[in-house]
Amino acid sequence: MTPLIADEVHVESPEAAVAPPSVRLDPDLLSDIKRFGAADVSACFSCGNCTAICPLSDGDGTFPRRMIRYAQLGMKDALISSKELWSCYHCGTCSDSCPTQADPAGFMAAARRYAIASYDRTRLARTLSTRAVLGTIIALALAAFFALFMYASHGVERASRLALFDFIPERLIHLTGVVVMSLVALAALVGVASMVAGIARREGVRFRDVLGGPGAWGRSLRALWLALGIEALGQRRYRNDCGEAAEAEPLYRRRWLIHALTLWGFLGLFLATILDYGLALIGVKATGTPVPIWYPVRLLGTVAGAAMVYGATLLIWNRLRRANVTASQSQFSDWLLLALVWVTGVTGFAIEVALYLPHPPTWGYWVFLVHVAVAIELVLLLPFTKLAHAIYRPVALFFHALAGTRTAESN
Amino acid sequence: MSERRIGVYICHCGGNISDYVDVAEVRDAVADEPGVVHAETTMFACSDGAQHDMIQKIQDEHLDGLVVASCSPKLHLFTFRGVSKRAGLNPYQYTQVNIREQDSWAHGGDPVGATRKAIGLVRAGIAKTGASVPLDPIGVDTTARALVVGGGIAGLRAAIGLADLGLGVALVEREAQLGGWVARFGPMFPHERSGHDLIEDLVAEVRKRSSITVFTRAELVGKSGSFGNYSAELRVTSPDGGEPETVRTEVGAIVIATGFDTYQPEAGEYGYGIEGVLTLAEFKALVDTTPGPLHYKDRPVRTIAYIYCVGNRQEGGNAYCSKYCCSAAVHESIQVSDHDVSARQYHLYRDIRTYGRYELMYEESRKRGSVYMKFPDDTPPSVERGKDGKLLVTTVDALTGGERVSLEADLVVLVTGMVPRQNSSLTDLLKLPLGSDGFYNEIHPKLRPVETVVDGVMIAGACQGPKTSSESVASGLAAVTQCGGMLMRGTAELDPLVATVNAEACTACGECEEACPYGAIHRVTNGEGEVMTIDATACKGCGGCAPYCPEDAIDLLGNTDEQIRGMIDNLLEAGVA
Repeated sequence: MTPLIADEVHVESPEAAVAPPSVRLDPDLLSDIKRFGAADVSACFSCGNCTAICPLSDGDGTFPRRMIRYAQLGMKDALISSKELWSCYHCGTCSDSCPTQADPAGFMAAARRYAIASYDRTRLARTLSTRAVLGTIIALALAAFFALFMYASHGVERASRLALFDFIPERLIHLTGVVVMSLVALAALVGVASMVAGIARREGVRFRDVLGGPGAWGRSLRALWLALGIEALGQRRYRNDCGEAAEAEPLYRRRWLIHALTLWGFLGLFLATILDYGLALIGVKATGTPVPIWYPVRLLGTVAGAAMVYGATLLIWNRLRRANVTASQSQFSDWLLLALVWVTGVTGFAIEVALYLPHPPTWGYWVFLVHVAVAIELVLLLPFTKLAHAIYRPVALFFHALAGTRTAESN
Repeated sequence: MSERRIGVYICHCGGNISDYVDVAEVRDAVADEPGVVHAETTMFACSDGAQHDMIQKIQDEHLDGLVVASCSPKLHLFTFRGVSKRAGLNPYQYTQVNIREQDSWAHGGDPVGATRKAIGLVRAGIAKTGASVPLDPIGVDTTARALVVGGGIAGLRAAIGLADLGLGVALVEREAQLGGWVARFGPMFPHERSGHDLIEDLVAEVRKRSSITVFTRAELVGKSGSFGNYSAELRVTSPDGGEPETVRTEVGAIVIATGFDTYQPEAGEYGYGIEGVLTLAEFKALVDTTPGPLHYKDRPVRTIAYIYCVGNRQEGGNAYCSKYCCSAAVHESIQVSDHDVSARQYHLYRDIRTYGRYELMYEESRKRGSVYMKFPDDTPPSVERGKDGKLLVTTVDALTGGERVSLEADLVVLVTGMVPRQNSSLTDLLKLPLGSDGFYNEIHPKLRPVETVVDGVMIAGACQGPKTSSESVASGLAAVTQCGGMLMRGTAELDPLVATVNAEACTACGECEEACPYGAIHRVTNGEGEVMTIDATACKGCGGCAPYCPEDAIDLLGNTDEQIRGMIDNLLEAGVA
């Protein structure tokens, strides 16, 4: 071995000019990620048991081991630009088989929280992930703000029937919704752009590989279908590969199903809300017009709401009884999201029940106020809470699928 | 006809020999050789039963010579010398003939030729034993005193051990103070006692023992005499710079414990020479002398990069592993974190060899957040000073994707190992053998780990090769045991297979004196004039002198001219030679 001789004044040699620039290590990375709830992965000695046993780590995927290594060394950009971070469904098998109890699964979850905070230009995501007390105050304050904001413009509480939009003007709700969604879209766009730039650089994916010419378009559309259709909505790998490690739970309690029901329910409710607004816009049905329960949009909302409440309830129940490796450790950000989802769902149902009661109860108005405030908060916080995975995971899955199609073609 | 009574045994060695050599034919061919009264084949000559039968036969037949044709004398020469001795036969009238390594194994494709060769070799062996005379071991009275060269931890512990056996000790240290390297050390692994304290305890123990004479500022400059009775010449420098004094002291054995030097990197080697790039020894001194969180030149040290294997395991240089440096560096990193839990420490290594219990220190340092990064052998790290004055270390981490990574450090520690200490005058004086690494060599790493080929001279501690201090002490005590075995009885026995001068034929020309590598031959005056004489205790029986003698006046006992000629004649007769 010839020792390298380095002069005090660094002279760029021709080889150094072509060598890729070295990555500057961030010595504070690991301690920072620990604030997001990572177990002490200093114990990890890179044996790779986690990678070997991970049902998703196939081909050249070397996670979770390599992700942990990035954190240990301080390779921040490599970590948050790894699409592998988002492949994981946190089945916990790796933590079960870790010889040093470094909890790779818990680390992956914390690293995702860290990544969400890193993509976010405000410090809100970081605060909501690392500071439980302040996060709780912010969450309550936001809900209170929206409630007061709505209540400030309140109208009459009719006693003859539950006229919700006479209480809170429909225009105010829709307008607030549009403003909030625009803000969310902006924040998500910034985050996604920063994530896409990182992953694309890391994967060597150029613009023309994705959108340059019909071939690239074909590949990209196919990858989009695989990412969004098959994986994000269909949950294929979650269903097939990341099942319960121990004896199978009955179908209605399987992790993938309760997650899928929550996801589908959320999307269904979102769709029902948009449709209801759309029907009003095109003048088919004014918002707030009483409809029978079988009315398609109402039916969609009811079914989706049931799915979401069922899923969220089971998710909360599992975390309370620490049902599995995943649910055994819960961070503030886990509770925050579940609480927002559950409150939104349950208040929604309460309103529906109130709507069909023969004598409309007055509490219906107050539940409605809470429902609107929390639902708006849930949407507003989307890029800053755990819910941000709903935007970042599909991006990562897209790059996964893209890499898959490129490999398939080169073979 | 010979009047000898020789017994001959031809061994099958299971089938190792008899599968290729027709042992019965060999037996029949030699049974009628002059002097042979008994010849037989045996399945395993070395087995207990065969040895018992041999003793019986020697006694019943009043044999005065024994030949066993079996394996290499390296395996069983001493076995059958022992058989002879137990049977009352002089062991030096036994000849081992090697018909396995030098015959059956070498000529497996030619059984007829192998058998013919065996016959020749056995006949030669019979001729050698036929011309043998009984020899007695040379008895030497030994001096009950040992010289220990080097007052480091190994030498000090050896001196105490020797004194406790009841032997006198002369302890020689070149420096003004006893203690060597360890005396300068702060806390040491694995017990965290400071090296300084350990040495103070040892020196106090030395002072308690009146049988130990300590010479500081002293060097061994001369040695005369022979095994068991050496006269050592010491040059002792006076502290006030006056004329050095020469002291002579008589000793029976010598323990060399002269220690090691640390590797000194070249300027520019891994940035050595840049401020903040230190060797392990310099770093240890810094850690030992800094109270509280580590500072270097009044600046706090928050990030440390260690580069391992500097100066070791290098082709064309020090190819060996110094084996203590990993543990020492890891131990220092734990000490650093003792005073500053938030210190960031990166260990850039090729292999970590914290063997045995030192593995626990490695675990501990990892638990405290030390990051270990393995770099590929062909991609060593580089060190440079960045524009902001910080040290920039660039390396490749084999456990990620092969990306080049760089880190900013306040201090870079080059984990340097041990190199042999330059002691050429001592090496030449004692004719100490050096291994390929430049450290002193033992006879056998497992079985004779502290003896050298120079009789009565032992090696201990890191002069033999890199050692931790506990290993150094262990080898020092091994040397004590070996000295005890030589010196405690007051007499020692040496092999009588040495050269002798036929005084009547000797013309005292002095050719042999010059040829002897051991200084065993001297000119003496007897009643009839000058002759050469050989000191049997200094002679190693190498035979180097014999061919130089123009008068053929030197003979080697046990390998006399008559014996060798007889062997050659028989080999020629058998058509082997």
